Amino acid sequence: MTALYTLSDVTLTVPGRTLLHGLDLSLPSGKVTGLIGHNGSGKSTLLKLLSRQTQPTRGSITFAERPLPDWPTRALARHLAYLPQHPPAAEGLSVRELAALGRYPWHGALGRPGPEDRNATDAAIAACGLDGLAARRVDTLSGGEAQRAWLAMLIAQEAGTLLLDEPISALDIAHQVEVLTLVQSLSRARGRSVVVVLHDLNMAARYCDHIVALKSGRLVFEGTPDDLMTPDRLHDIYGARMEVMTRADGSPVALPV
Amino acid sequence: MKFVLPLALLLSALLWALAAPSGLPDRFATEALSLDELLMLYGHMPRGAMALVAGGCLGLSGALLQVVLRNPIADPSTLGISSGAQLALVAVTVLFPGLLGWGRAPVALAGAGAAAALVMGMGALRGFHPVTMVIAGMLVSLFASSFAGALTLAQGQYLFSLVVWTGGSLVQTGWGPVLALALVLALGGGLAALMARPLSVLGLEAESARALGLSVGRVRALAVVLACVLAASVSAAVGLVAFVGLAAPALARALGARRPGQILALAPLTGAVLLSLVDGLVLTAAGYGTEMFPTGAVTGLIGGPLLLWLLPRLRATPPPAPDAHLPRKARPLRRVGLIALATVVLLGLLLMLGRTPDGWSLLDRERLALFLPNRLPRLAGAAAAGGLLALAGAALQRLTANPLASPEVLGVSGGAAIGYAGVLFLAAAPSAVALTSGAALGGALAMAVLTCAVLGRDARPERLLLAGVAVSSLAAALLSILMAAGTMKSFAVLAWLSGSASALTASGAALLVALLAFACAAAVLMARWLTILPLGPEVARALGLPLRGATLCVVALAALATGAATVLVGPLSFVGLMAPHLARRCGLAQAVPHLLGSAALGAALMLAADFGARMASFPYDLPLGLFASLLGTPWLIWMMLRRPT
Repeated sequence: MTALYTLSDVTLTVPGRTLLHGLDLSLPSGKVTGLIGHNGSGKSTLLKLLSRQTQPTRGSITFAERPLPDWPTRALARHLAYLPQHPPAAEGLSVRELAALGRYPWHGALGRPGPEDRNATDAAIAACGLDGLAARRVDTLSGGEAQRAWLAMLIAQEAGTLLLDEPISALDIAHQVEVLTLVQSLSRARGRSVVVVLHDLNMAARYCDHIVALKSGRLVFEGTPDDLMTPDRLHDIYGARMEVMTRADGSPVALPV
Repeated sequence: MKFVLPLALLLSALLWALAAPSGLPDRFATEALSLDELLMLYGHMPRGAMALVAGGCLGLSGALLQVVLRNPIADPSTLGISSGAQLALVAVTVLFPGLLGWGRAPVALAGAGAAAALVMGMGALRGFHPVTMVIAGMLVSLFASSFAGALTLAQGQYLFSLVVWTGGSLVQTGWGPVLALALVLALGGGLAALMARPLSVLGLEAESARALGLSVGRVRALAVVLACVLAASVSAAVGLVAFVGLAAPALARALGARRPGQILALAPLTGAVLLSLVDGLVLTAAGYGTEMFPTGAVTGLIGGPLLLWLLPRLRATPPPAPDAHLPRKARPLRRVGLIALATVVLLGLLLMLGRTPDGWSLLDRERLALFLPNRLPRLAGAAAAGGLLALAGAALQRLTANPLASPEVLGVSGGAAIGYAGVLFLAAAPSAVALTSGAALGGALAMAVLTCAVLGRDARPERLLLAGVAVSSLAAALLSILMAAGTMKSFAVLAWLSGSASALTASGAALLVALLAFACAAAVLMARWLTILPLGPEVARALGLPLRGATLCVVALAALATGAATVLVGPLSFVGLMAPHLARRCGLAQAVPHLLGSAALGAALMLAADFGARMASFPYDLPLGLFASLLGTPWLIWMMLRRPT
């Protein structure tokens, strides 16, 4: 298994506070990796560093065997797609236009969009189940539909790696399952790597292949969901006593005691 | 840090004492005093007291506004309150001097209240977003000061004392105003002390404050009214003293005040010391025979740099939500074509239409040949200037995702005005070319400052807007210092500021038209950037957009367009704000149709304004820029007060 990301001694300091303390970590390629932790544990901050939205104060990040700062801007966007936690209101844009923005890294500011760009946009819209809504305006969609429209933009980007910051936090249960199933199938069927920040522990255990847990900016756990789901581990991570139960299909669920 | 305040007070007292015309008189019988002692007793002493009291009032006013709006850059000048008071006073002095018999304070209060109500109304509909509030305030004060300037212009040199007064001169001729203002400060301070606890609860989010059982609306209204009364009283007593209300709470925070109560208590002190120190410096400069600057204009110089310094302290808040249900047309480019065609037809019609003493008529061929060399450059130039400003406005609104961004706020017009005025004042008999290049240089300097702001660590669009506001306010302060010099040249500046296209030459107009074509082409090339940039820096970065370079290109285009329009026809107002909104309302949602449609609408608007300016008081021309802003402002206010969803 090759490493998608290699982090060594990654530290981020803002005036008065250290958000991440010397992380040494490697993330697997071709898997769904879940970032979990309590509020303020630094999981969103880590994702911003991985997507090069911010730079670490100290330490180095290697993405696909090349130091992250060395990647040219557009080349990086062809390999790496990032969805912020609160996507902005896409005023006046239709779903198709938003999805087509994902092709920017491929055709650039002036290049003419070719058939492959149109095909990628169509495929992304179809993959997100938005065929009937392609002409609708994003700002008139419901929360779940808008989230899927943004995912369509990410998919149209055809990047090998997707970074998602709490993609299901604003959705109801049915849409949560829908979006995570889509993300999982992107990884399983197309071999894409996904790093996703999740608030919901059970969702993380169910949909991720690999879990990374942070606590106060430090790494506290790295491993498979099965290793994660023990009362002691969960107490280490969240500082709360949890009970782990087994469902009929054998998968574990955790509930606070 | 503890000794800073007493030391500054000591220094200002020293400067004041050094500038005193005599020692303290030991007797108070007027007839027994020498002239110098009279000056001391009724001029210098009340002036020193006035500096302290006015500074205290402004400090308290600014602190109230900052606490109640949770906005570290709110103050009577940034929110347009002082300018509202100033406009009311100028308008009443010029138009209804009889009303002044009731005293200046009620007039100033009415103006301040109107401006505050307007800005608060715009803010309330947009969640009191800090940057948006300041931009709304900047627009109100730009309008107020241009209108006040035009009124002064219309009345000739009789009103020169008015210009000096609006600069905020602290010269006193008795104790009356000081005592009245001291009373206001004492009452205001008492009320503020009573409100300290509700205000500190309001320091939380409005929702939490409401949950704690606070009547948010009432406290907010009361605090804003109190801040207005304080600011308007200062305006009535000494005129426009800018930015002390911004600096005082900032200084209070720098001295360690954190809680709202502490800031409210300390800000009047820092304000008093600050204004008194500035006045001490002005007095010292006057003592050395330098020209007498009004103190208020000098404090205005603090504003720009201070805003830039406060920039990083702003919480990163998302810009206000745009109007949701704007229409969106399926075939927008056809609509743009129609608008452009209508604009050209309008241009042709206005070329042909003549007004004679007998009535309206279309010109016949002979007279058209006579009029054309004069009329074509003027109309074409005005249309091109309108198109350039509108294009700049549309690009800026897309870049910053803020519907209030406009070329006026960018500060390039302000810089150009300073350049123009600078050449006019420094050269004995400047040529038109020298004046134009002066204005171009000033605009370029303002653009350089903006570029630095964009190239800062993070290219946050708010940074750009506030840097623009900072440059604008610095330019306004410099202008008012130049104006206070009070020569005939001041009138030349005022005339240029109100904007006239009548002096436009054929080559100037051709240049503007060529620039418009170039700017349209450049905007179309940047269309993909301008589609992605409204989604915010995070998405833009994730899509691999060269964020810094793209921002720089858009700013350069907007600055070039604004600068060119300003240099040739004066800092025309509000077309750059209006046209992009109109285009959006016409259903032009995508970047290319929005940009081009804005340019066409801007040209049409400016043609209409030019027609109005020529016909409103036929056969005399009114200033074009002034007429455009008079047309635009009611519309702007209506648009701002509509509820965004």
